[in-house]
Amino acid sequence: MPEWLETTIRSFSFLVLLLILTRALGRKMAARMTFFEIAYVIVLGMITGAISIQLVDLVNGIFAFLTWGLIGIALSFLSLKSKMVRDAIHGREAVVIKNGKVLEEQLRRVRYTPEDLLQQLRNKQIFSLADVEFAVMESNGEINALIKSNRQPITPQHLGVETAPVTGVQTVILDGTIMDEPLTTMGLNRGWLRGELEKIGVSPENVFIAQVDSMGELYIDLFDDALQIPKPTTRQLLLNSLEQAKADLETYAIDTDDPKSKQMYQRCAEELSSIIYDVRHLLK
Amino acid sequence: MTTYSRVKQTLVSLKSAKATLERYSILSQDQTARKSFQRNADQLQPIIDRLQKRIKHMELEEPQYKGY
Repeated sequence: MPEWLETTIRSFSFLVLLLILTRALGRKMAARMTFFEIAYVIVLGMITGAISIQLVDLVNGIFAFLTWGLIGIALSFLSLKSKMVRDAIHGREAVVIKNGKVLEEQLRRVRYTPEDLLQQLRNKQIFSLADVEFAVMESNGEINALIKSNRQPITPQHLGVETAPVTGVQTVILDGTIMDEPLTTMGLNRGWLRGELEKIGVSPENVFIAQVDSMGELYIDLFDDALQIPKPTTRQLLLNSLEQAKADLETYAIDTDDPKSKQMYQRCAEELSSIIYDVRHLLK
Repeated sequence: MTTYSRVKQTLVSLKSAKATLERYSILSQDQTARKSFQRNADQLQPIIDRLQKRIKHMELEEPQYKGY
């Protein structure tokens, strides 16, 4: 066999092997690489490269590849099962700032200089150490910090504002084709979708993307960007009509001379206003 | 526009609001939102009933309105 042919065959077969192996190792490795995992990947790549350009003997190469590969797979399974293996391989996360104070001892243990710490914090948009309450160094060397509660961004909860729950949005039309599975998970069907599209006045073939939110409201994007489509406003309209009705009832209460019906209108207006108060956050 | 027809209009818009609330209570994926919609739709019913009664009363008082 000529040498070039052997190189080609080796390269190709180890490429396939490497592909299978990396698949078996799982996806976690690519997501956050710890020091060990980076070293592991480099060694694996080196072995594959050395075999494919015939730097090492084929049998030796295969054994090295299999050893590293199988141990890698075994470790990834074991670390799923046992906390001890996880800690041994990936290292534990280290608390580097606690109660606003930097723990120098811990920093030394993970070989971090104060500059490194500050730089990592700046990466997270934290420029003043005084803002940090608590910071952890993850096993991949990244620092995650919890800032003091008075420095945290305001959320609706802080303001005591109720918000409408946002559950998943389902994409029901992609590239002009109706997707049946997302529709059924929302408890809807093609007939409903056709009806909604007819209301807006577009045909399904003209829709590039259509999404339905948790309240059954449809958002669409058309192929033709020049076309103006009405925005979904049913919720706003409902709120408006409730408020309109309340105002009307108050007017009737003033207009009427009969004390009994005056009282009746007033009661209705009051009840309606409590209903509006209750649903307002859901309809905004 | 007479008071009679205006009250009737309010009644109709309340009925439609109730229907929309009920629709949302079915469509909504979130359990608390679902309950909230249903509860408020139910609370609209007595208001609708009272307005209906009022309209009947108006028709009795002034029969020429009937049918409008």
